[in-house]
Amino acid sequence: MVNFTVDQLREMMDLKHNIRNLSVIAHVDHGKSTLTDSLVSKAGIIAAKNAGEARFTDTRQDEQDRCITIKSTGISMFFEYNMDAGEKVSRDALQAASDKAAGEETVVVEAAPIDPDAPGVITDNCYLINLIDSPGHVDFSSEVTAALRVTDGALVVVDTVDGVCVQTETVLRQAIAERVRPVLMVNKVDRALLELQLPPEDLYQAFSRAIESVNVIIATYNDELMGDVQVYPDRGTVAFGSGLHQWGFTLKKFAKMYASKFGTQEDKMMNKLWGDWYFDADNKKWIKNNNGGTLERAFCQFIMTPICKMFEAIMEEKKQKTERMLKAVGVELKTDEKDLIGKPLLKRVMQKWLPAADAVLEMIVVHLPSPVQAQKYRVENLYDGPLDDNMAQAIRTCDTSPEAPLCMYVSKMVPTSDKGRFYAFGRVFAGKIATGQRVRILGPNYVPGKKTDLWVKNIQRTIIMMGRYVEQVQDIPAGNTCGLVGVDQYLLKSGTITTDENACGLKTMKFSVSPVVRVAVEPMNSADLPKLVEGMKRLSKSDPMVLCYTEESGEHIIAGAGELHLEICLKDLQEDFMGTPVRISDPVVSYRETVSDKSSQTCLSKSPNKHNRLYMEAEPLGDGLPADIENGVLNVRDDVKVRARFLADNYGWDVTEARKIWAFGPDGTGCNILVDATKGVNYLNEIKESVNGGFGWAMGAGPLSDEQVRGVRFNLMDVVLHADAIHRGMGQIMPTARRVVYACIYQSTPSILEPVYLCEIQCPQDAMGGCYGVLTRRRGHVFAEEQKPGTPMMQLKAYLPVMESFGFTADLRSNTGGKAFPQCVFDHWQELGGNPLVPGSKANEVVLGIRKRKGLTPEIPPLDRYLDKL
Amino acid sequence: MVLYFIGLGLGDEKDITVRGLEAVKGCRKVVLERYTSVLGVDKEKLEAFYGRPIIYADRETVESEAESIYESAATEDVAFLVVGDPFCATTHTDLMMRAHKLGIKVEVVHNASVMGAAASCGLQLYNFGHTVSLCLWDKEMDWTPSSFYEKVLYNRKGGMHTLCLLDIKVKEPDFAEMAKGRVRYLPPRFMTIAQAVEQLLEVETERKAGAYTKDTMAVGLARLGQPSQLIVSGTLDELITVDFGAPLHSLVIAGETHPIEEEVLAMYAITADTPRAAPPSEQTQHDESGRDGEQ
Repeated sequence: MVNFTVDQLREMMDLKHNIRNLSVIAHVDHGKSTLTDSLVSKAGIIAAKNAGEARFTDTRQDEQDRCITIKSTGISMFFEYNMDAGEKVSRDALQAASDKAAGEETVVVEAAPIDPDAPGVITDNCYLINLIDSPGHVDFSSEVTAALRVTDGALVVVDTVDGVCVQTETVLRQAIAERVRPVLMVNKVDRALLELQLPPEDLYQAFSRAIESVNVIIATYNDELMGDVQVYPDRGTVAFGSGLHQWGFTLKKFAKMYASKFGTQEDKMMNKLWGDWYFDADNKKWIKNNNGGTLERAFCQFIMTPICKMFEAIMEEKKQKTERMLKAVGVELKTDEKDLIGKPLLKRVMQKWLPAADAVLEMIVVHLPSPVQAQKYRVENLYDGPLDDNMAQAIRTCDTSPEAPLCMYVSKMVPTSDKGRFYAFGRVFAGKIATGQRVRILGPNYVPGKKTDLWVKNIQRTIIMMGRYVEQVQDIPAGNTCGLVGVDQYLLKSGTITTDENACGLKTMKFSVSPVVRVAVEPMNSADLPKLVEGMKRLSKSDPMVLCYTEESGEHIIAGAGELHLEICLKDLQEDFMGTPVRISDPVVSYRETVSDKSSQTCLSKSPNKHNRLYMEAEPLGDGLPADIENGVLNVRDDVKVRARFLADNYGWDVTEARKIWAFGPDGTGCNILVDATKGVNYLNEIKESVNGGFGWAMGAGPLSDEQVRGVRFNLMDVVLHADAIHRGMGQIMPTARRVVYACIYQSTPSILEPVYLCEIQCPQDAMGGCYGVLTRRRGHVFAEEQKPGTPMMQLKAYLPVMESFGFTADLRSNTGGKAFPQCVFDHWQELGGNPLVPGSKANEVVLGIRKRKGLTPEIPPLDRYLDKL
Repeated sequence: MVLYFIGLGLGDEKDITVRGLEAVKGCRKVVLERYTSVLGVDKEKLEAFYGRPIIYADRETVESEAESIYESAATEDVAFLVVGDPFCATTHTDLMMRAHKLGIKVEVVHNASVMGAAASCGLQLYNFGHTVSLCLWDKEMDWTPSSFYEKVLYNRKGGMHTLCLLDIKVKEPDFAEMAKGRVRYLPPRFMTIAQAVEQLLEVETERKAGAYTKDTMAVGLARLGQPSQLIVSGTLDELITVDFGAPLHSLVIAGETHPIEEEVLAMYAITADTPRAAPPSEQTQHDESGRDGEQ
């Protein structure tokens, strides 16, 4: 731990080239939090006055009980590194020099630990590392999204044994999409050594498999503007080690040692230490083959074998050998440590020999971008306005000068000790945010030039957030994360804060999961209803993903990404936000309404005064396009021509039609499209907003079950209008547009979509039968099955309807003797059998069930309510 | 039985015609449409004078639940009262057609409408062109229809006068709420002549086709046909400064004028006694006063 006064910390924040903001991301149980702990214990910053009581890793009780991270937590760390010399700055250079001389096979530069009592002195070699530890379970991946938004780099952690898993891919994809540069930590090497007893060559294979899989994902979603972001051990962007035992290394570390020995340069040495390089000691030269099996791969010979030998010596308690080796690598044990044996000794030795924090922090400082570098290419992904305006320019250069406009993105709300109030946590992208500053707070629905979702307020307080502790500071410059007090009143979950009148907001975050599972809650005691309503408001703020709303029938609904997510939300609601228990209904899932055919006729609806007529047709958008809209591949805010080109090239749209898209819906961004296919209608522009309004309204709540509509294209074919503007106002057109849209859905073979999970199950071979049984009972089907290389574990991939997933985990465990572990993530929407308009079909049954639950009329409204005749 | 469409005229309860009054007295059910215009008196006064209870019908009743009006006409006489004239500047033709289809006899009792009464400003009806409506703009919702401009331009080119009817919103739903599936009504709003002139001038600066300028002669008409009626003529620029008082307001943009017309306009010309108002400013002031909550 490093002690700093708040002033010193604040001083460091001005060194914008020396800041690294990163998230730690990985599959669940790959050891993110453990690794983070080991970094923090070495380099975490705490304000001097909190030093005595600081326990950074201590967060929520339920996180510890479940051994799972639920909320992302930010921590600041301090690291001194001399970029020119390419080494960690040591407070005691002399000692380092003497260490260098020692050693036969391996030499280690052991930096003296920073004196915990001496406050640091801020120099150009000081690096401030803001790290956010994120949850690995898919249900909480919205937390990951929020973390990635405010960071520029990602430390991807992969388990050596498990390799790349489904969530690794998801979070990595998100990172690339946010233009966050990754570095890799191959973790749990101790497991491979101790449990699986893998020989060095097998370890190399396991490592390179993990790296290869990561690079495949990176290459798939590669973003040219970021350049090559794949990870290479020989360039120092991959570290190996064990978070649990707190040791780790990069090739750089060993290359540095061997370079002098081989009389070559460090980077050349690094090249030789990875891949097919073998050292022919007899001829003293490097060759590309193993010379008929007589040679060991350089990586194994010079790195893994020594490590394996060290493990062997200590675990088999060969005291003398151990001592000899310790001397060789220059590790000195203290007296009390000499008495240790077995694992504790191993841990201590490895920590001293190859300290994880040094290796990982060096990798972070050298290979992850500073805010200044990162914002150069992130600006176009972040900013929702013209890329040549004032604000874009300030973000691009990470401008902290006094005249720079302020731009901060609030990515999440963090509960304070004051119940019901939140700190708004986010990242300053330009300018400085200061206590008392008058700012414009732009919500996600803000439209430039309008006054919706806009507040002009003063910042009450700006704070630095360090784990559980907060420190008030006067201002915070661009490139840093910070917390704000008082903003929670105006922003629901996220938003932009700026001082520039003309600035647009930053883009809203795209989540990889959606709230498809929901429950209805009601207070045990009806007198607690106000508490419930207030509690739901707070819950909604505290989580980036959760949806809380009240159904027309008066039901209070909470929707989350999965069963676990909901469970945590409900627990928070009852324990923290309400303080009283609630009654919880069985979980239900969201559905979508869609159409499967082109309209059988052009539908007509007349306005209430009968003087205006709208003619419309509907058709399915087809495969792929809805997902492209949802994932932002087709950006609804893009220029009309760019959009049209994309639709023409990828989905065979007519370019002229594609240029006449009026709206996306619901919410202006959804995956339904309204196209103006009329020809030569007067005053059409005057009703555009009204038609769009009715369209958006209809898309948010379809005719059959009041669920959202998905993947439908509506063509406005013709319009007849009253001669006078008064008689074709919003009151006339908007409800009519909604009715004609509904009529079109009825006339285009409507169908119901249900959400489906991609379910990844790891289990031993003998548990496979149980897995198949459970899946089949729940309408799931397995589509891939493969053996994990080097393990007896099988990996199954299956599709499982979300509706059938409640209690799935428990069911699976009981049927496989607890040997199978599923991980479910929302994957796609799937058509439910049958036409919902035909009584007796499965879809009809579901629709009627939803209507009943929502308190709508029990039967589906007849077509003639929406369709008019001439 | 008979469905009567009865015009009530523009002023108060006594403006109804004798034939209209006789029809009302003979009807079991009397419905008053009150969203396309408003009378200067309230419902109680009408009921006292007509000796019949009156049902208010708002836009929704007339447009979406029209059946409730004409279907009862199959068994009893029904009077449908409309302020002004039943078929001027309103959209009740649909109601008449549907009743007709059901075989219900329809009778119409005409009365004065603003479309005729506008002549009281001295400009002759023979010289009027297209009538246009000016809508209350909602810039938040991008609802700023300006299609009236072509019509005014057309009228002015032909030397014709233009009658501008100004928007009233008696019971308009809140559309933002509506899109969330809830029904909430906005408080009644009426467009003033000053607002109308501002809108006209704004559209002119945008389109620049020269339909009119701020020096174009126009006549403002307030509460036409009522005892407190106010008619003031002047240039558009001058009319902005006049306080016309309570609704309803209308505006006539003059075209080419005959000497007689000019004389009447001069009679109504703006004088020192004309009530003046401070020029209306943007009323969309943002709430800046909200107290910053304390933690």
